[in-house]
Parts: sequence; C-alpha cells; structure tokens
Amino acid sequence: MILSWLNDVTEGLQSFFTGMRTTGKFLVENLRDEGGAKAVTRQYPLHAAEVVGERQRGHLHNKADICIVCHACDTACPVDCFKMDGERDGNNKMRASRFDIDLSKCIYCGLCVRACPTDSLSMTADFQMDPRLDGERYLFRRNSSQLDVHLDAADVGRLQQLSRLPREQLSPADREWLDARIDVRGQHLIGMYGLGYFTPEEKAQADAEREAKKKAKDAAAAAATAKAAAEAKTKAEAPSAGGPG
Amino acid sequence: MTGLGYAVDAVAVWLSGSPAPGWIAVTVAVLLVWVAPLLAIIFPVAALGQIVERKVAAAIQRRHGPNSASLEGPLRFGFRVLLCFLPRATQDRAFQRFLKLPVVRSLLPMLQKLGIGQLAADGIKMLGKEDIVPRGADGAVFRLAPYLALTGAFLPFCVVPFAHHLVMLEVSVGALYVIAVSGVTVLALLMAGWGSGNKFSMLGGMRAVAQLVSYEIPVGLAVAGVVLWSGTMDLHAIVAQQYRPGVFTFVGWNLVQSPFLAALAGVFFLAGLAECQRTPFDMAEAESELVSGFNTEYSGLRWGLFALAEYTEMLLIGALFATLFLGGYQSPIGEQWIVGLHPLLATLLHLGIFVVKFLASLFLMVWIRWTLPRYRVDQVMRLCWLTLVPICLVAVFGLAVQLVLAGGTEAGTAYGRLAALPRPALGVLGHLLGWAVPVLLLGVLVRIARRRHGGMHPALRQLTGGGS
Repeated sequence: MILSWLNDVTEGLQSFFTGMRTTGKFLVENLRDEGGAKAVTRQYPLHAAEVVGERQRGHLHNKADICIVCHACDTACPVDCFKMDGERDGNNKMRASRFDIDLSKCIYCGLCVRACPTDSLSMTADFQMDPRLDGERYLFRRNSSQLDVHLDAADVGRLQQLSRLPREQLSPADREWLDARIDVRGQHLIGMYGLGYFTPEEKAQADAEREAKKKAKDAAAAAATAKAAAEAKTKAEAPSAGGPG
Repeated sequence: MTGLGYAVDAVAVWLSGSPAPGWIAVTVAVLLVWVAPLLAIIFPVAALGQIVERKVAAAIQRRHGPNSASLEGPLRFGFRVLLCFLPRATQDRAFQRFLKLPVVRSLLPMLQKLGIGQLAADGIKMLGKEDIVPRGADGAVFRLAPYLALTGAFLPFCVVPFAHHLVMLEVSVGALYVIAVSGVTVLALLMAGWGSGNKFSMLGGMRAVAQLVSYEIPVGLAVAGVVLWSGTMDLHAIVAQQYRPGVFTFVGWNLVQSPFLAALAGVFFLAGLAECQRTPFDMAEAESELVSGFNTEYSGLRWGLFALAEYTEMLLIGALFATLFLGGYQSPIGEQWIVGLHPLLATLLHLGIFVVKFLASLFLMVWIRWTLPRYRVDQVMRLCWLTLVPICLVAVFGLAVQLVLAGGTEAGTAYGRLAALPRPALGVLGHLLGWAVPVLLLGVLVRIARRRHGGMHPALRQLTGGGS
C-alpha cells in the first residue's frame, strides 16, 4: 500500500514538474520576444491585420465607370444600404454621379454582387473601417449622414486628387474648396467606400484585368470546344477499335 | 517588547507629553509607527502582485497582457488636485511641461507597457462602483467580512522580521501567533459565504472552511518542524540561527539543512497555496462550479478588499516561507559583509532582499496557478490528509531522529548554535550523511514503488484489459 502511495506521489510530482516546465518555456519565450512572433495576439491597430482567404467577403467596391445605375443591387439588398443617382454622359449612357454604400448597414451578404449585370460591384478583402492614426487617436471615417452628400463626378475626382496631396502644397483656393467638403473631425466626405471612382492608373489596371479575364475566358471556351471536338472524334473512332468493356 | 516597540513608546510619550501615555496616545502611536508603514509596504506590493499575475498569465498563454492603459489620465487628475489653487490653463501648462521631462517621457511608456496604467484604471473603476448589498444578505455580516479577511491576512505580518530588528512585535511565540491569527481568514470567508444569502456563496464559504481548517494541519506541522530544529518560536531568532559567516551564507538556510526540512518546505508551500485559496486549490471560488464562490455577491471596493486580502495572504505565505526556510532577510551570499555595513544601509539591503524573496515565491504561485487545473473538492481533502500530513509526520519524526543523532536538541537551539559556529556536533560529514541517508533511502523506496506500481494507472489498466 505504501509503495503504491509513494508511486502516486512521485508520479504527481513528475507531472507537476512537466507542466511547470512547459508553461515556463512559454513564459520565457514570450518574454524574450515581446510582441513578436511568439505572442499569438496581434496588437491590431498597431500591427497590420492579416487578411484571411481570397474569397473573403469584405467591404463593397463599385467601379463607377462601368456602373449603369440599374438599381439591381438596390433591389437585391435586404437592408437598403445603397443610395445612387445617375446622369447621362456624352454618349447618352447612364453613369453614376453618386453611389454611396452605407457600411454601417451592410451585412456583407453579397447578394448585390450576384445581381450586378456589369460586374461593377465586387466585394474586396478589405474589412477595416478605416481607422486613421491622427496623432495618438484613431478616427473612424464616415457615418451614414455623411454619406448622404451629392457630388458631381468631376467634384469627386478633384476631391480625391486634392486629398492625396499634403496640405501645405495646396493653393489657398483649393484648400478652401477642400475645407468646405471636410467634416468637423477633419475627414474627407468621400473616401474609398463611397463613390467607386479611381485614378487613371487604377482605371488602366482595371481595364487590363478585365481584358485579361475576357481573353482567358475566350481561350478557355476555345479550348473547351476544341476538346469537345477531339472527344467526339475519338468517340467516333472508338467503336472500330473495340474499346475497353 | 523589542523591535519597533521602543519607537511606539517614544512616540506615545512625545504625543501625550507625559511619561505614562494614555491609551489614545498609544493607539495613535501604534497606528503611526506600526500600521502606516506596514500598509505602505504591503499594499502597494500586493497591488503589484495583481500586475505580476496578469503579466505572467499573459506570457504563459502567449498574450501581451495589459499594456495599453495610459497613465496620463490619472496623472492629469493628480495635477488637477495638487494644483487646484491655480487656474486651469496653468495646470495644463504645468502638466504639459511635466510630460515633456525626459525622465517622464522615457518612463511613462514603459510603465504603460508593464500595465501599471491598467492598475490605476482598475483601482479608479473599483472605487467608483456602487456599493451593493443584496436584499437577502445579512447586512452587517456581509459588510464586515472583507475587512476581516484583510485583517486576517495582514495581522501575521506584525511578527515577520523585514530586516534586523525591523519587526513590529518581537514576540517569543511568533510562529504560534502567525498560525493563530491567520485563522481569522476562515471566519471571514464563512461570514462572506453566509452573509451573502446566496447558495453559491454559502457553498464556497463552507468549502473554504473545510479546506482552510484541514490545511492548517500540514502548515502547523511544517512550522513545528522548523521550531523543533531551531528550538525557538521567535521568528527573529529562527532567522538569526540561519546565519552563517563566510561567502556562502545559504548553507545555513533551513531548506538545505536537512532533507526533512526540505520536504517540510515543499509541504509548507503547497499547503500555503491552499491556505490562500489559490489554484489548484481555489475550491472556495471555483468559478466553473460556484459562479465565484464566497465573493459572488461582492462588487466594487469590498470585492477589491477581498482581492487585496488574497494577494496579501500570498505575500504572507511567501514571507513566512522565506523566514522559515530561506534565511529570512539574509542575503544568500556574503551576509557577513552586509552585517558589517552601516546599520541603515544594511537594513535597506535586507529589506530589499526580503522583498525579492517573497516576490519570487509570489511569482512561483502565479506560475503554478497558470499551469495546474483545479482539483476536485474530495481530491483537495485527500491530498491534505493522505499525502501532506503523512509526509509532514514522517519528516518531523525524521528531523527529531536527526537532531538526536546530531547531539540532542541542545545543538538545535538557536542560541546554542550561534555560540559555536559552525556546529561541531554535526560538521560537514554529519551534514552530508544527514542528506545522503534519507535521500538514498527514499530513492530506493521510490525505485521499488515505480517498478511495482509504475506505468499505467490501475484504473486505465483495468479499462484497457491488462497491458503493461
């Protein structure tokens, strides 16, 4: 009896020291490498967030130059987070003059993307509500009332252009114009989540992408037809060869 | 009465202006000389214990722990209060100037990273909370319990020597006093459990009583072993007799004096862990079973007092462990030279060493907490009565035998040993033999036990139908 008791005690002590060694190892590793790779927690606003998966449903993005303001997304949306206006351009085509997505309402269901006939709406992998470091505080841009602002397409372009420049480089007139369109917290009213306009470079890139996609699609279709033809050919030859049972 | 008793007498005489001070003057003097400095040392360290707890827990679980709460707010508040006679703008300017000081600029982010800001924020939050007494509670008992818990944790510090003669009460029965007074905690926990008028609290309180009363026995036996070895119950004398001249002072520590004392040290630490209701023995709180046990109904400041009592008790266990087994406030090496220094310098050094020692055991307790899961109630009792108590009994018996072999209890008395160092009866050979024989014996026994019963647990073996 006393021997089995002794065995229990030694086993208990042994497992105790094993446990202490394990946690001690973690402790030392973590302390040596403060905030580095060892700690599992990421200090989110300080360290960049890691995006998970390419099919992630993040913020909506509208490529406004191919949007035809058909309101299909608006109809599909279960929470009414779209607000849009359109104008006829020189070719008498509908173009968005305003396309606001209220991200405080959006439930990231992706129904609008399915409904979109021109593939102008897409879901990006971006999920951050744009916390911007201002001194030592984080400012969160845009609430739904700020979204309700109508701007001409030209205005949007100018706003985006100006807001990219450092404030010191702006002319007094530009600065005044910009200030009139900035809310009290110093944030621009139109940002990445409002109108889907982009710079010429971005447009060229998007066009190239679309072109490449189209080419790939055509190539795939051609390949498929070629394959089907080839298969039909082999099938036609198969009976004469007496194919495998 | 020695120690700071003289200082109390002097202050009382000075306060009352007569050679025979009345009880009011004596009370005030006690508060000034004993209680205030002790509070000033113990409570901040106990509060720091919370930060140690959170940081160590975080590191073990590979997190960061509190590192974002800024100290700027509390400091600004402090400036506002301190400079309240100045206009607001001047206050702010002074504060900005203060923030720009190089020391502050380098120190503040460091403190913030260490989580001190979180400590301040938690403290302020706790002070600001509503003082809730449940309708079904026994008001007076409910309200009194936290203070009693704190008293029970705090009173034993009166006899713990922090440095040479830096002790409140140099009573000759210090060890007995510690064990007697720390029993108050049991009452406090039972009062909290009963007074809350809540079945979870009640269960927690009853568990606490069962556990604390049981674990008094191994603690008492461990202390009894040390008392047997030292021949005195005076904690100051126990520390003094662990003194050895020469470079390696630590060879005099009770921990390395005898394997039986080492075993008692282990038992004392474990039982101490149970005494202050720490995981793996936190049956009284057991948040997965009893919500939060005896302090389920407590919030705000009263809850804070319970938390403070817990950490104070941890410090107490650490301090007692250091005093009984680790040479108290003495340095592990070169104590001889520290004694030779200016008394004030030596006292400060001793105080620092003592604080380091009990912070180390606090760290160990935290480490254990974040390693081991909680025991079951019956397992806790089992561990106490069927493991710790037998070990204690064997160790105390072995200690007695060793003392007799080494030349009778006379050699073990503190004053006898101080008179003739190093102890001639035991000597180096005796010391080595004293270690070697029990350790070898235990080693052989353990080897046999492992061979006979080792490997798979019997229950598992039965389940798997034989096997190794």
